Amino acid sequence: MTDVEIISLVNDSLIEEFELDESAMVSEAEIFADLGLDSLDIVDMVVVLEGLLEIKIRDDEGLREIRTLGDIHRFVITKKRETETAAD
Amino acid sequence: MLALMNLWVYPLLIIWTVVGLLISPVTFLLWRGVSRWSVAKIMRHFIWLYGRVWMLIVLPFVSFKREGFDQAYRQRTPCIYVINHLSFFDTFCMALQPVSDIAFVVRAWPFRRLFWYTAFMRWARYLDVEDAGFSASAEEARLITDAGGSILFFPEGHRSRDGELQRFYSGAFLLAVKLNLPLVPLCITGTDRLLPPGTFCLRPARVRMQALPPVDPAAFTGEDAHIVMRKQVKAKMALKLKEMRAVD
Repeated sequence: MTDVEIISLVNDSLIEEFELDESAMVSEAEIFADLGLDSLDIVDMVVVLEGLLEIKIRDDEGLREIRTLGDIHRFVITKKRETETAAD
Repeated sequence: MLALMNLWVYPLLIIWTVVGLLISPVTFLLWRGVSRWSVAKIMRHFIWLYGRVWMLIVLPFVSFKREGFDQAYRQRTPCIYVINHLSFFDTFCMALQPVSDIAFVVRAWPFRRLFWYTAFMRWARYLDVEDAGFSASAEEARLITDAGGSILFFPEGHRSRDGELQRFYSGAFLLAVKLNLPLVPLCITGTDRLLPPGTFCLRPARVRMQALPPVDPAAFTGEDAHIVMRKQVKAKMALKLKEMRAVD
């Protein structure tokens, strides 16, 4: 799965899960201020992304650093690559 | 008609609010002495009574109808209620409920801006989920429900601007799963006509509230149980609201 495919998958999933407007899905969008998510949504997002990408991220310290949609993309791409490397 | 309604309702609501504030200390002491209820339960009942009198005030201009509130409904407590949000007066319309021991989950602004209600909301142990966060609010909710009270959420978080259901936040559903309490969806229509968001001009309206069958959280398993539950409940509410609006 390419980075572009992961980003597309993540965006589609977040749009469906949190009923977000597609036009708001820009990488600099802040997840709380611009996308209107709350702290519980982040918990839900972790559950959804873990299932979607077959990664484990819930205990990762990096989650606390996420501020924007672009941060989410970079974070899950890194985790996906780490998971793939570990599996090889 | 509009002018008459507004000249009737607002002054009477202010008078009733002032009278309610003045008589509440004595009434509280009397009620406490007779019932031995907790402070929170008495305050929730007072808030419910306040809403009932508001309903009487607007009754010349607003018709109220409720469905699905049978005897089984009254006995199905404690539980978690979720209801769609159309207007400021939705909270007043909760007096349509046949039960009064309900703590509302609200955002931070009513505690700050509706200062004449703040003390009563605190005494009634309403949950300020925005400031307290989910974990603290869930623990408070556990104490309330252990004592027999129920919890009411507006899962959209904000009033709808177009009458359509907005996205649902997860709090109510996660709480139902965590506390293993039945979740009762409620649907309300007409309050958006009574007082739409962004205006102070009241209009005659027909307000209908419908209780849907309770949803058992045990039917949902796994770590995404509350997410699946949230989606199913929203779909049921959307369908029922469509039916209700078709009749209106």
